[in-house]
Amino acid sequence: MKLSLNWLKDYIDPKLKDEDLIHRLVMAGWEVEAVETVGKDTVFELEITPNRPDCLNVLGLAREISAITGRNVTFPKIKNYKDTAKKISISIEEKKDCSRYVGTLIENVTVKDAPDNIQTRLNSLGIRPISNVVDVTNFVLMETGQPLHAFDYDKIVGGKVIIRRAKTGEKIITIDGVERLLDPTVLVIADTVKPIAIAGIMGGKETEVTVATKNILLESASFDMGLIRRASRKLGLRSDSSYRFERSVDWRGVLTGANRATDLLLNLTKGQLAARRDVAYTPKGTQYSIKVTTQEVENLLGLKVPLAKIKSILTSLDFKVSGKGASLIVVPPSFRGDIKQSVDLVEEVARTIGFDHMPTSLPQIKAKNLIVDQRPAMVKKSVREALMASGVDEIVTLSMTNTKDLKRCLQQNLKVVRVFNPLTIDQELMRPSLLPSFLGVVAGNFNRGQKDLRLFEIAKKYLSEGEKEVLTILLTGSRYQDWRLSRKDQVQFCDLKGVLKNVYSAVGIEAAFSLSQEDFLDESCASHIEVKGEVVGVAGRLKATVLQNWDIKHQDVFFAEIDLQKLFKTSFEAVAFKPLVEFPAAVRDISLAVKKEASYGAIEALCRQKGGDILVDVQFIEQYLGDKIQPDQKGLVFSCLYQSHTRTLREEEVNTAHQSIIQALTNELGATLR
Amino acid sequence: MHNFLLIFQQAKEEAQGISDAKTAEEYRLKYLGKKGIVAEIFSSLSNAAPEDKAAIGKGANDLRALVSLLIEEKSKTTRVVNKKEQVDISLPGTASVLGHQHILTQTIEEISQVFEKLGFVIAETSEVETEFHNFTGLNIPLEHPSRDSFDTFYLDQEDQSAKGRKLLLRSHTSPGQVRIMTEHKPPLAVIVPGRVYRPDAVDASHSFMFHQLEGFLVDEKVQFSDLKGLLTEFCRRFFGQNVKMRFRPHFFPFTEPSAEVDISAETLGIGKKKWLEILGCGMIHPRVFEAVGYPKEKYTGFAFGMGIERMAMLKHGINDIRLFYENDVRFLKQF
Repeated sequence: MKLSLNWLKDYIDPKLKDEDLIHRLVMAGWEVEAVETVGKDTVFELEITPNRPDCLNVLGLAREISAITGRNVTFPKIKNYKDTAKKISISIEEKKDCSRYVGTLIENVTVKDAPDNIQTRLNSLGIRPISNVVDVTNFVLMETGQPLHAFDYDKIVGGKVIIRRAKTGEKIITIDGVERLLDPTVLVIADTVKPIAIAGIMGGKETEVTVATKNILLESASFDMGLIRRASRKLGLRSDSSYRFERSVDWRGVLTGANRATDLLLNLTKGQLAARRDVAYTPKGTQYSIKVTTQEVENLLGLKVPLAKIKSILTSLDFKVSGKGASLIVVPPSFRGDIKQSVDLVEEVARTIGFDHMPTSLPQIKAKNLIVDQRPAMVKKSVREALMASGVDEIVTLSMTNTKDLKRCLQQNLKVVRVFNPLTIDQELMRPSLLPSFLGVVAGNFNRGQKDLRLFEIAKKYLSEGEKEVLTILLTGSRYQDWRLSRKDQVQFCDLKGVLKNVYSAVGIEAAFSLSQEDFLDESCASHIEVKGEVVGVAGRLKATVLQNWDIKHQDVFFAEIDLQKLFKTSFEAVAFKPLVEFPAAVRDISLAVKKEASYGAIEALCRQKGGDILVDVQFIEQYLGDKIQPDQKGLVFSCLYQSHTRTLREEEVNTAHQSIIQALTNELGATLR
Repeated sequence: MHNFLLIFQQAKEEAQGISDAKTAEEYRLKYLGKKGIVAEIFSSLSNAAPEDKAAIGKGANDLRALVSLLIEEKSKTTRVVNKKEQVDISLPGTASVLGHQHILTQTIEEISQVFEKLGFVIAETSEVETEFHNFTGLNIPLEHPSRDSFDTFYLDQEDQSAKGRKLLLRSHTSPGQVRIMTEHKPPLAVIVPGRVYRPDAVDASHSFMFHQLEGFLVDEKVQFSDLKGLLTEFCRRFFGQNVKMRFRPHFFPFTEPSAEVDISAETLGIGKKKWLEILGCGMIHPRVFEAVGYPKEKYTGFAFGMGIERMAMLKHGINDIRLFYENDVRFLKQF
């Protein structure tokens, strides 16, 4: 909202330097966003909060400035025009849509330029002067906040105005020359055959006032705010009028605005008042009183404000104040629809005194009865720390995705939650998986030549049964960031598994891996992650097709997703201490050749089964896949650790146990010692 | 008979010429080597006159001691005796590299910690919300423009608690207030961080998804002065002790009185006389207490909400909101 200081000074002289006035306005809730010089005038751009439509005009702001400076406002003298014997035909089809319509018929007008003083005022606000008639409607709008419209009366067919909903398919060419298609959600002003204006938004071209106009019908009305807002949005058409209507216009001000404009029009056009008609349906609850006490003010603000001070502040804002003792009975003015209860009055007092004059204290925060399960926060913090210690960078990606990207991830079979009103088709779905987001990030970084990526995110995925917090990890590119080691070495599944191990040990749980099948993971490298026998996630290498779909070339990409809700349940169980064993351990290495498809996990399990009580651990040492072994075989080296916590083991015991392991490996798995 | 005084003098003078490992080694060999001067003197003992032998032996031993001392002294100032190759200490270190926490989660953590130390607890509430929690319970009327599909994302999913109404993506973290107050009685001091959504076209300062942090305190006799005090303390701890700030009246449907807090750009060292808005706050509206079923006039409280992206942008001078979600590793690794 623009405020011309010269215009303001027609009614009130704040007697303040511009920068002091700005400060006082801002501290009373009227933010000055910009200051510009227009000719000899200074214009403030003010942010008017939506609860204060009464200040979208010069007089409203003059009243506010009066309250904060104590200076008086000289309001313009406005004549009161009464309904004439001659009637104007005004018919309101639905009084909920239009609670008041004041029509004024002025005959024999001379349409010409408005005088300079009006033109200058409009120019300051960036409104182009058009003619005395149009300029008066704009002038009064900016002065009082009441939107007005003037019709060329002779072009209104039947001389009748009807306030009704548009019919489906009806059209109107508005004064900006654009043809607009209407429907019953749009309120129009119509004559007996067609719409002549879109109510509260813009007039029609056909009934526009021109130099040839002889008789004008001045409209001053109050339309339903929601109706105007929706129509304005729907038509993509905003105006100074619709801006005010959608924030609500004072029902009483409708007549004031009509009278002020009538005064000016009669004076400037030399026309004669031929008829006036005020069709009004009193809105409910226009007059009510609110009780407020000094104690209430003090309790909420922490500041004692004397009764007299409260009284004078409210009076200066046009509230009617009565009552005695420590409580006041307050009647807000009709234009203050935002004042509904006592806290609203407390705010008026606080705002006018200034928040900078309010005291400051630190609240006493008592023991709370809000029992928040701290475990999820602890789990997430530990998981984050473990991942960062493992060299994985955290990312934050957007929660929406689309069908196309899900298809590119081979995840089109996932059930999805659709956004009803997406901004673009790219964000039509709530993501059922973070994979599309991650591959977007990978592709983006690849385009910039950044191909060594270790990424994670803790975020929600969205399923029809609700949102679910998951941890997602992705690794690709060089395995080492150490310059002494080969840059050519690429990450492998075991690197992902290592990162996952760090994550699980950080929250005190053990995870197991078992083969699985996933649409987006390569069959040869897809795994379930299990905790206590329950599947909590998946890990593996992304399918080549998926990578091709995202234009990711020459690199394997490893991906894991873990359901965090399941970790919240199981993690951080107290660790049971195991006594340190005082007796020496015997370590026996085994180096064997075995069929490639035999899994190390199966071999280790067999060892543990055959080794008996004294086998306390099996530790993997290395895997050999070179040419010094049969092509269908692999070499494995691991060591078996024998120990007892009650005595030193005898050589023979260890030998017996170790032999039975080797025998089982040879007989049951066809392994040969190397 | 050797002129030991002269030899000692010569040994001292030649020691001055030692400048590196090579010249040090040459010097050592010349005097202490197998065929060096000391060895030569000892071998000359057999031919020496018996009465000179003791003096020559002592002279040779003294010379050896002197030369060793000279080399040792010299080695203190130059690296002469180090036979190992010099390590290039300028090569980069090679510990396992740490990952970087995203600046948004870092900022959330930093802000949360301030409030936690002041006695608040952190709670997270859902992103998919009902109209009741996002609007009605917060005194936002049915006709309010923020309920329009232009300003709020709705989901193609019916709200089981309100027939015919759709679920939505929360447009602010304030529904957290309604959720927690509905389930718990005061005293409450809670912060709710998280993702929020608004259908804004994306540009350098807008994103359809961003993060907010909501905080509220409800008890008997909570006052506006408490709100001022708490947020002043927060700004000092987050932006630094010298931060200048102001409370400016504003409007929110769910607080009354409402305020916005500005900080002075000058005190942040980012530009001159300019005020930067950082958060909205106010005394919780009685209608909100009514909506969550608290007894009338028993409690008062305040609430505040801030944008995480905005705080991070102000604090770190980040100029484009899109950088947060692009996740260019060059961006990630800066924080």
